Amino acid sequence: MPVSVVQNKDDRNTFDEIFLPYLPEAYRLAQWLSGNASDAEDIVQEAAIRAFRGIKGFGAVNARAWSLTIVRNTALSWLTKNRSRKVTYINDLNLSEQQELEHEGLHGARIETPEETVLLKADAERLQKALAQLPTQFREVLVLREINQMNYRDIAEITNVPIGTVMSRLSRGRQLLIALLGDQE
Amino acid sequence: MPASLQDNDELQLTAYCDGEIDPVAAGEFERRMAADDKLQARYTRLMSLRKAMQALPQADLPSDLQARIQAKLNTEQANAERANTVGNVTVLRRRGWSFQALAASALLGAVISGSVLKTIDRLGQDDTVASEVVAGHIRGLLAPQPFDIASSDRHTVKPWFTSRLPESPQVPDLAAQGFVLLGGRVDVIENRPVATIVYKHAAHTVSLTTLKRGQSVPDQNIAGYNIRSWSDGNFTYVAVCDLPSTDLAVFERAFAAASPAPEIKQ
Repeated sequence: MPVSVVQNKDDRNTFDEIFLPYLPEAYRLAQWLSGNASDAEDIVQEAAIRAFRGIKGFGAVNARAWSLTIVRNTALSWLTKNRSRKVTYINDLNLSEQQELEHEGLHGARIETPEETVLLKADAERLQKALAQLPTQFREVLVLREINQMNYRDIAEITNVPIGTVMSRLSRGRQLLIALLGDQE
Repeated sequence: MPASLQDNDELQLTAYCDGEIDPVAAGEFERRMAADDKLQARYTRLMSLRKAMQALPQADLPSDLQARIQAKLNTEQANAERANTVGNVTVLRRRGWSFQALAASALLGAVISGSVLKTIDRLGQDDTVASEVVAGHIRGLLAPQPFDIASSDRHTVKPWFTSRLPESPQVPDLAAQGFVLLGGRVDVIENRPVATIVYKHAAHTVSLTTLKRGQSVPDQNIAGYNIRSWSDGNFTYVAVCDLPSTDLAVFERAFAAASPAPEIKQ
């Protein structure tokens, strides 16, 4: 019984309707997750192919979240694969900070930030550098929230964690950023 | 002196900055902030960080990226088609049998492999379905609340489903039978959104996920949760709970008795 594994023309049209409108956003997400523009192109291309192959699995609910989930997952596996060439971001934090990060959640130790850092002197370059130093699980929620401007629900769907975890990661991620920016004074 | 905000405040502040708390809680939080300079300062700082991130320069999408993706997909499609054709031709050439025998055996083979494959496929699928349903239940338990819409009023939950899903189940209130309606949520099973009704029985949360009719999910225990499944004319129901399976049987009877005439939108 010949089973057609080939995507047909309808699938291609669906792909065009579902995935392509979010290409600019996909590119931005990939860029901020990977940290550079040429990697982002590779990630988006690979994500597009994955999306096309999996287009039958699209549940007709949230095309944006569906598309960006694939981009996010592609970016993460891409980062893992290329880790040897890349900076391992978590090593940029000192040991106690790393340990704090392992115990996230309500009862994890809080990141202390100096009271006087009320106004941030955050020019784009320094902020970008600080963001690159964050461990991936913090960077991704921050990017999805601020760059892609998604709400907690969509971020939870894309990163596959409960909404409460999204909230605590955003909270800790921001405190980390503030601490990193403060250190560079 | 290090900052002495409670973790809970930190989370509330985060949710407030992101506009993710309800109006009542937001009002309350604003009143607290007005009376607390430190909290106010933290708010200002978080918002300035948010603005700085939003203002980060964005690289434009390379103008030819979309064209390159389209070209890649064209190649992918063409390759797959060619591979299919080549595969079929090779099979025909390799067999030196008479054409009739070939045809007969091919047909028999197709029937056997088809049905065997289907069975294997089905078995694998049921397993995945069951664990996906349980994953939905666990996710619900981990979230601040196990439902997306909170209501003990079936007339609120049913329309909420109807507005989101092509097919939505009856939502009976089973409080009289000991199962209090908590609300509903949309779970994603096999990449499709489906309705899950959430009930409470004493301290136990029961998730009832509704799947396409004809899907069979064997009763089993996954990760400490009992699963009980049954079908009616329109849906296959999968109940998940840490209750003993006998209690789930009671639940099934109560639910089945209360929703005698399932209906489908359209």
